[in-house]
Amino acid sequence: MSRRALVLALAVSLAAVACEGSASSDDDRELTVAAAASLTAAFTVIGADFQEETGVAVVFTFGPSDGLATQIVEGAPVDVFASASPAWMDAISERGPGVRRRTNFARNRLAVIVPTDNPADIHELDDLATDGVQLVLAAQGVPAGDYAREILANAGIADAALANVVSNEEDVAAVVTKVLTGEADAGIAYVTDVTAEVAGRISVVEIPDDVNVIATYPIAVIADSGRPDVAREFVEFVLGPGQGVLADHGFLPAK
Amino acid sequence: MASSRPSSRTPAAWIPLAAIGIALVALPMIGLLLRAPWSRIGEVLGGDAALTALRLSLVVATAASVLSLVTGFPLAWLLARRGFAGKTLVRALVVMPLVMPPVVAGVGLLAAFGRRGVVGSVLDEWFGFQLTFTTGAAVLAAWFVSFPLAVLALEAGLRGLDERLEDAASTLGASRGYVLRRITLPLLAPQIAAAAVLSWARALGEFGATITFAGNLRGRTQTLPLAVFERLQTDPDAAFGLSLLLIAVAFVVIFGLRGRFLR
Repeated sequence: MSRRALVLALAVSLAAVACEGSASSDDDRELTVAAAASLTAAFTVIGADFQEETGVAVVFTFGPSDGLATQIVEGAPVDVFASASPAWMDAISERGPGVRRRTNFARNRLAVIVPTDNPADIHELDDLATDGVQLVLAAQGVPAGDYAREILANAGIADAALANVVSNEEDVAAVVTKVLTGEADAGIAYVTDVTAEVAGRISVVEIPDDVNVIATYPIAVIADSGRPDVAREFVEFVLGPGQGVLADHGFLPAK
Repeated sequence: MASSRPSSRTPAAWIPLAAIGIALVALPMIGLLLRAPWSRIGEVLGGDAALTALRLSLVVATAASVLSLVTGFPLAWLLARRGFAGKTLVRALVVMPLVMPPVVAGVGLLAAFGRRGVVGSVLDEWFGFQLTFTTGAAVLAAWFVSFPLAVLALEAGLRGLDERLEDAASTLGASRGYVLRRITLPLLAPQIAAAAVLSWARALGEFGATITFAGNLRGRTQTLPLAVFERLQTDPDAAFGLSLLLIAVAFVVIFGLRGRFLR
């Protein structure tokens, strides 16, 4: 490669990087939404519906609510955040950049999930305390992980069950994967995680209502969004037509 | 070999390009130095989680490096000195873990050694043994990704070795084992050290295959990179501090051994 070609290649790649950065900030045809991993299936449908109606393409980043909140605090360019717990929405209000139009939009219950062949013979929540069960939870800080620990404490089996934990997963989707692949004997996830796709390979063990936790999901526009109008429109859409999609996926309506 | 007159022949355009290269490597480390939580660094690095992860990382990386050397040497020998059918294929196969995204490596390890994997299901059925979620799984993941570096370094060393020295020793009546111990291995010491350090450093940094295949549990499979990742979700400052620790450990080893093979 000649020197001129080399310099040209470098200039082009730098220019490409620069354009990439500027294009996303003031294009009203695209919206960036960070959403809890447990919303992946429902929000993908809602995003497609929203695009069909408004022509605005929704780019999702799904992950653990704690990780997403931390990224937003660190300055990730996100327009809307949907969290699996109020605590991580609070974090954005407290540590910056702040939120607008915060509303609770859904609730969710948790359940014990096991592979359909149920190798550890788990039929009720208390079985998670049986010695030798390979239990997988979401990590502490991840809403699903914190809820799971709360449930085990409510049931009075925290010590024995936590001693059975073989892995603290990044988010609830990873918990489902570990059970789905049959590596773990059991996990604690949301009832909505048992989607049609995985229903044949995962069985649900219900958690009694008196020890279960109901997760509340807030959504909000991030204060420094470059497209606050479109962002607000998306939030309204989730609260409106999106409610039917969320119900289809097993979410409870917000109170 | 090395010319000591660089100024006369270095094209002017190379200086800024080289500077970009240095900045590329140095800036993330400078950034970590600036963002690390110095006011509570003792609490972050001296905490139970950090020390446990550090200890586990050192154990896992050392075990993986030793395994890579022990299994890599015979293979490097065959590749360097024997002609055999399918050698090109074998060499391509050996470097695959280097070019494979680590998460793919983890998925592959699950497919082979997971409870429902090709080998894993046999282990589970016959011996009731499950590898996933154990320290052994973390070692296997680190071994898998560091193995090619050991083989490549050892093969290059064996190729560079003057076989006539070994032949001379044999002619003088030295046994095979004696030649290996007294001629081959000592002559190869710098390359063995290089292979050990390269595979160790790669194993120390392993993340994707480990979290996919071995899981994440403090004291069992949570190595330093996994600890960094977990802290990054909730407490980025602490993650910056832990990252510095990881870099410091790697730097001390590379710098300490620089006379051996880095010039």
